[in-house]
Amino acid sequence: MSPAYALKRCGLIVYTLLVVSLIVFGITQILPADAATMLLGENATAEALAAVRDRLGLDASVWEQYLRWLGGVVQGDFGTSLRTGLPVAPVMIEALGRSLTLALFSIILMLAIAVPLGIVAAVRRGRAADMIVSVLSYVGVSLPEFVTATVFVLVLADWLQLLPASGYVPLTQDPIRSLQHWVLPVLTVSVIMVAHVSRMVRSELVDVLHSDYIRAARLKGMPPRTVLLRHGLRNALLPTITIVALDVGYLLGGVIVVEEIFAIPGIGRQLIVAIQARDLPAIQAGALIMAATYSIANFAADLAYAWLDKRIQYD
Amino acid sequence: MNGFPQIDRRRLLAAGTAGLGLLALPQATRAQAVRRGGTLRVGVDQSVAKINPVIVRVNPEYLVAELLYSSLVRLGYDMSPEPDLASAWTNSPDLLEWTFTLRPNLTFHDGSACTAADVVATFEALLDPANASPARPNIGPIAKIAATDATTVVFTLSAPYADLPVALANTNAKIIPAAIAKGGLDRLNREAIGTGPFKLVSFEPERLIVVARNPAYYDPQRPVVDKVEVVVYPDMTAQGSALIASDIDLMYMVAPTEYARLQKASGVTALRVPSGQFCNINMACDQKPWNDVRVRQALALTLDRNALVDFVAEGYGTPGWDTPLNSAYRFNTDLPPKKADIAKAKKLLAEAGYPKGLEATLIASDSPATRTQLGVAVREMAKAAGFTINVQTMPHSTYLDQVWKKGAFYVGFYNLQPSADQIFSLLYTSNAAWNETRWNNAAFDKLVAEARTTVVDARRRELYAEAQRLMYDEVPSIIPVFFDLLGAQRQYVQGYRLHPRGAVFRLDQVWLGDGAPRRS
Repeated sequence: MSPAYALKRCGLIVYTLLVVSLIVFGITQILPADAATMLLGENATAEALAAVRDRLGLDASVWEQYLRWLGGVVQGDFGTSLRTGLPVAPVMIEALGRSLTLALFSIILMLAIAVPLGIVAAVRRGRAADMIVSVLSYVGVSLPEFVTATVFVLVLADWLQLLPASGYVPLTQDPIRSLQHWVLPVLTVSVIMVAHVSRMVRSELVDVLHSDYIRAARLKGMPPRTVLLRHGLRNALLPTITIVALDVGYLLGGVIVVEEIFAIPGIGRQLIVAIQARDLPAIQAGALIMAATYSIANFAADLAYAWLDKRIQYD
Repeated sequence: MNGFPQIDRRRLLAAGTAGLGLLALPQATRAQAVRRGGTLRVGVDQSVAKINPVIVRVNPEYLVAELLYSSLVRLGYDMSPEPDLASAWTNSPDLLEWTFTLRPNLTFHDGSACTAADVVATFEALLDPANASPARPNIGPIAKIAATDATTVVFTLSAPYADLPVALANTNAKIIPAAIAKGGLDRLNREAIGTGPFKLVSFEPERLIVVARNPAYYDPQRPVVDKVEVVVYPDMTAQGSALIASDIDLMYMVAPTEYARLQKASGVTALRVPSGQFCNINMACDQKPWNDVRVRQALALTLDRNALVDFVAEGYGTPGWDTPLNSAYRFNTDLPPKKADIAKAKKLLAEAGYPKGLEATLIASDSPATRTQLGVAVREMAKAAGFTINVQTMPHSTYLDQVWKKGAFYVGFYNLQPSADQIFSLLYTSNAAWNETRWNNAAFDKLVAEARTTVVDARRRELYAEAQRLMYDEVPSIIPVFFDLLGAQRQYVQGYRLHPRGAVFRLDQVWLGDGAPRRS
């Protein structure tokens, strides 16, 4: 990969973020009710509304508000939350950290389950094992998060009392309790993703196993295990990387239900709360962080491609 | 009010059974001495976005503000005013001048003294429109506040107001240092400098608020626990599971749908208290068809209110008769129950000029969901009398922006207010802050105004009874259901009671008895 190419990709990411910020800003202007209305709720007298709008700078024109915000961002200042009065950036970054932890643990667990399942299904294609794997993974993907999560809580926390039901403890505060708290949410999220990936591994592996070079490897007399893992799986995993990179997007925004149930104050929850409160600086920061993570994950997937398959090169 | 929790039902019961020699009872039912120390964990259902007491607005925020700050006066379980920072108060016979005496030697969390000057500055900040405090319209007709010495504050009113002490128990009227009140209120978004039983340790709006005992609190007996952790659980079912698993000790609020599960759970005590919280149907009395009293009466006559209690409140409530007062208010007078009478409703509708019935769109915000439930129930019950009601649910933000106080026909939801005067002059008098119904009834206004200036309780009760009767007859708003407040706690939690107001918590009295988990 040439430096020019890397620079171009980074430029594209910045451009994407700018467009995202414009779209997000535009949408929040269309939404009914503003931050002052939501902040005051049923205490919103005309006088109080005016005072709060004045304090929050909501009286300025749309463009003035946007440019003021952009000016701050360029200097690294994402502003102050209209809802809490606290600076937005540290809160959002901390929330992102939690969501990424959930994503990372879930991806690891998911891969640990899905890849072997996919291999078994491919090798035993059409037989009972294949059927069982596909039925199970479809059940996993078809059940909505709140059902899976509730079932896990009911069985593992309420009945068996093995794990805490809900809540979040930082790793730095109490590592053991923290990990106990992570088990149920990670399990819930992985179950949903297992189906995507195990199906992908299965179908790619089935294709690869029918290719000429696999036949050649077999004819050379290589042990079947080596053929399967070194020649078969390595090539079959390429599309899986794309799926995982796309799943990062889902993991950041789409697991809000899981975050709610397990009371993990992640980025999805921060964003929902911000939207409900029409807290523009928080919405913008949250959306930008998510867009940036998504772009970077895709970029990383492309790099991984080139690393796994030397035929792929970027310039 | 002293620190020791009063003897509650369970301790009384335990004393009785101990007398009978039944000592082999489960631990939690045995009488226990107040035990100091430990960490109490409380679950809340929404984020604690603000800890600045001047602008807190929802129950979890009130809960935290009450831990960190004190008021002059607090609201007792029977809705009467009790001393907090003020140990006593007197009023002039004309109810225009009120003198409050502070406890001696009060200090803020930063060690500085809390004096009458801080009280004056606090109330001036609450009344300053620029601070947009929800307290501003609710703390009485204050014209002037003055400190006559370090522990004496005099409130001069612009009109006689018998309920001033109750009004000063307002959830936002927490005393803050004068220097901050006079400028720099924003500092309280991050820090807490109060005189409350606890000091702030850490504050993370979406997750956890930790407070620790304030050793300089004015009552050495309180707080009883060393630490309180307020944990945010956005999902009510998950919060219930956390209580069942003993991850938390107390839920000050439980959804009716969760209540049965918690009642059955072992080690958990479900709590319930009648409250004046209600869901109602607002009708614009200045617009067709609702400007005709017969149409409003007709709609009210279609409702089977006991069935509504079962459907809307899952049975955890009491029926209402179109007045906002119920047994939770000090000056309530019970009125005869209203029964459904479809034939009479039809007759009234026909007299009002709608012999074929009428069609209307009833708007309900999606928060809380009971609003839509009430809407749907009213739609079905009113059908028989010829009302065709379309129920339209919308997001709460849109509702606040476009419908609330403006709409002609929508579902409201209100909490118990500290006094009859507050609920009437908040919603139903002609000059009400939220005059949703535009009923504008001069006779009603006069009764409420007269009650404000009346000191004799019996006379006030009569005046409010007449006001209730007017609403009962003319139905500016249909108030068919009052909700009980529901909560739950671990059995080892002692000294906690649900307050009918919903916004008072008194965690400073709570302690952890036998069987409580040890927490660092």
